[in-house]
Amino acid sequence: QVSEVVQFLLVKDQKKIPIKRADLLKNVIREYRDAYSEIIKRASRTLQEVFGLKLVEIDSKRHTFILVNNLPHVEGKYLCGDKEKEKMGLLYTILSFIFMKGNSVKDIAVWEFLQMLHVYPGKQHSVFGDVRKLVTEELVRQKYLEITPIPVTDPPQFTFQWGPRAEKEISKKDVLNFVAKVQGKDPTFWASQYSEAQATP
Amino acid sequence: ENREAMLSSKNNRLTEALEEANTLFDGVCRAREAALDAQFLVIASSIGKEKANELRSEMSAFDSAAFAEDLLTFMGINRMEETDDSEDGPGGFLPRDAWKKVGEEALKYIKRAPTFHYMLGSFKSEPPVPKQRIERQKKANRGKAERAMPAQLKKMEESYQEATEKEVERVLGILQTHFENDPNTPISFFDFVIDPNSFARTVENMFHVSFLIRDGLARIKLDEDELPVIEPTKPSAGGEEEIRTGARNQVIIKLDQQEWK
Repeated sequence: QVSEVVQFLLVKDQKKIPIKRADLLKNVIREYRDAYSEIIKRASRTLQEVFGLKLVEIDSKRHTFILVNNLPHVEGKYLCGDKEKEKMGLLYTILSFIFMKGNSVKDIAVWEFLQMLHVYPGKQHSVFGDVRKLVTEELVRQKYLEITPIPVTDPPQFTFQWGPRAEKEISKKDVLNFVAKVQGKDPTFWASQYSEAQATP
Repeated sequence: ENREAMLSSKNNRLTEALEEANTLFDGVCRAREAALDAQFLVIASSIGKEKANELRSEMSAFDSAAFAEDLLTFMGINRMEETDDSEDGPGGFLPRDAWKKVGEEALKYIKRAPTFHYMLGSFKSEPPVPKQRIERQKKANRGKAERAMPAQLKKMEESYQEATEKEVERVLGILQTHFENDPNTPISFFDFVIDPNSFARTVENMFHVSFLIRDGLARIKLDEDELPVIEPTKPSAGGEEEIRTGARNQVIIKLDQQEWK
């Protein structure tokens, strides 16, 4: 059962959509329900020892999991397709913006910022296509971003925050360093962001 | 519309706008205008709230415009004159790999699990189409094979049948020959069928004789001693009747090895 669980998790992770415990129970574990916690424990260990991946529960109420890379970063290229690289580039930029702006921003602000980078929500982008869809649907579904509607707004407005996957996969320290690198400044230039980044593990 | 601009802590635009509204309100005499004024107040207060929020927020001021500019530089923007390409914003056009560059830098810090893909792919799309063809061919082949089979069987059966028929004819021939030599004297049934050397052959003989009886080509009667005798039937006018009569009588003869001996 353990190897089946491992395989199931690896395949499900392809789309980067969190895996539901219910799916796991229904499709793989089935009759071994009682041994669930033991199976999960062993599967986690396999994932860690063989693949260097960590199984993380991001929603303890709805019991959803993601796989996070647990290996220390090695200098060199991360192997993935160009499309994935570009999406991650856009995501990181947005996450940086959100963090530097106090962890919660209005969607209008995000779009205004992106426009400065020649990315327009209403227009097809040569790299990203339907950007609005990518940002508000795909990245949200993958739990990288979290959108919350602001009550009593017309037309409806939203706030953007880091999603649970972003919290697990990305550190604020690295984000600040990224911004500092791009702007050619020292991370301590932004004092409060710096102290917050230091405080977060 | 100018919300963002008003929010900027660097100016007093909000205050200016409020003052302007105040002045305007003096000239208001219609309800519609009053309503507009009310709307403006709602928006103004919400902006005011946000500004207050920003003051409260402990984040050091972050100049997103400056960050954007620097990012563009990082991406390798070409700051020439505006091209005709409508996608490019003011300030130049971005190279093809602009976002890839950012992505590569970003991926250094994102603990993303590499996606797992089977090297050889899954068994999908292709097989179904040829499969159909193969199935059809198989069916065709099987049809032929089946046809070949029955043909073979038929042959076997025929030969089997032929063998039996031949045997029967042979037996009939022997019977008739006997009778020619000794007309009007039926032969003892047992003398006729029993093979002193082989029990199996005896049974076979009886088997063949039974065919003759069935077809009405021979007849078994009981003689004075109550022993069965056999004689070939003469093709007579009443032949059919006899056949029918013969068919109605059934005799079961039991012979086992001990008796035979």
